[in-house]
Amino acid sequence: MRRNLKHYSITLAIFFLLILIWVYFTNFSDLLNPVIFPPISEIAGAFVEAFDEMLKGFASSMALLIPALALAFILGVGGGVFFGLRQNLREIFSPFFHVLSPLPPTLFIPYAIALLPTFKSASIAILFIGAFWPIFLGTIQGVVLIDKRYWDNAKIIGLKGIDFIWKFVLPASSPYILSSTGTALILSFIVLIMAEMFGAEAGMGHFVLYYTDFSQYDYVLAGIIFNAIIILTIILIFEKVKKRILFWMNLKSD
Amino acid sequence: MGPSGSGKSTFLRLLADLEKPNSGEIIINNKNGISDIAVVFQDYSLFPWLTAEENIVLALKKRLKGKKSKKELFQLAEQYLTMVQLGHATKKYPGEMSGGMRQRAAIARALSVGSDLLLMDEPFGALDPITRIQLQELVLQINQDQKKTIIFVTHDAEEAIMLADSIVMFSPGPPGKILECIDVPFEKPINRNELFESREFIEFRDDLLQLMNKGIFEKLNQKEAVEDGGGI
Repeated sequence: MRRNLKHYSITLAIFFLLILIWVYFTNFSDLLNPVIFPPISEIAGAFVEAFDEMLKGFASSMALLIPALALAFILGVGGGVFFGLRQNLREIFSPFFHVLSPLPPTLFIPYAIALLPTFKSASIAILFIGAFWPIFLGTIQGVVLIDKRYWDNAKIIGLKGIDFIWKFVLPASSPYILSSTGTALILSFIVLIMAEMFGAEAGMGHFVLYYTDFSQYDYVLAGIIFNAIIILTIILIFEKVKKRILFWMNLKSD
Repeated sequence: MGPSGSGKSTFLRLLADLEKPNSGEIIINNKNGISDIAVVFQDYSLFPWLTAEENIVLALKKRLKGKKSKKELFQLAEQYLTMVQLGHATKKYPGEMSGGMRQRAAIARALSVGSDLLLMDEPFGALDPITRIQLQELVLQINQDQKKTIIFVTHDAEEAIMLADSIVMFSPGPPGKILECIDVPFEKPINRNELFESREFIEFRDDLLQLMNKGIFEKLNQKEAVEDGGGI
């Protein structure tokens, strides 16, 4: 605990030093353009003033992100387990997976807009594509790499059907599934900001882009800080959940 | 019994239908293979994400397909765990148990499969000597109480003598072969202390080790001859 405190005290010191540097260059020097680099007081003011607007943006971003991630998780894990367990099919289809998975999801924007009726559904589709591949491929990998000894075990007790999937395949591959879901989560924030570039009327990314157009960089920075806080919080919560699901990997005998 | 690489575990895996023979058949009780297989491995006989009782319920479910309620299954699991002196640890995860406890739970799960044949693949190889003796006693007791045939793989001569009615000695492979089947001349139940001091035991054990070592030395000599030839 004391060691933690010591480590974090250094971290905090660096944080305040960075703020001091910002204050120095924005308030006491002419080196930086004051429009692009506003002083801290202005950023804080913008943060307070725009807080409601940013919260609304957060809500509308989540309205895109949550359905897309949920769908990507269900289909990614379901499809991953399906192909993970079937070597023949996996070999037939894996060239498709390898070609499609590295494509930036934003490449599909024209088709998403052309085929889907609303901006919202098109954005969800793009976000889904971005989150699906890591989860899908991670799940396949997790299933393929299940320890042979666990397989022996499952065979010996004759696991079949629902128990086979829920009590064996999913838990055994869950470390890979969850780590790829973490990747998908981070990736989906990147895609979210891009998806909000077309047609969005609100959103965490939209907020920043909107005020960039008016050169209101105090709002832009407030938005960036707000994004950072939200994304960090979500990732920390996810890590907590992940740790809880994978509790069995960190048990100690007493 | 046999040295490493002699095919003991492979033989066990063939019996358990975890591997298919390249040729030949495995006939047990005039039938090809066994339907219910109970196996205890050296480790990993339990899923680490399930508690001791959940692990056993999983095995019971298959055997008692829908005949028992969930509650009854858990009661039954507790009975099996009590049988191996783990009645207090039903809700523990394998990661929270010591090596000895894990193997007890693994034995409980193997018993819950309800097979007449119990296969054990060096189950106590990773345990400390005292825990090992305790678990050997447990196996003897189960063998006596439940009249189960146990095929037990080990490379420890004392363990083999303590537990076995007959010892099948494998020669070092590959390909491993069966060297000899030896009946153990000591009546059960055995008093460990008395036995270990008796001359008959020491002689029998030395014979056993000699038989095992003979194979190993022959193999070593063979290899040396080949290596010498290759060097010239």
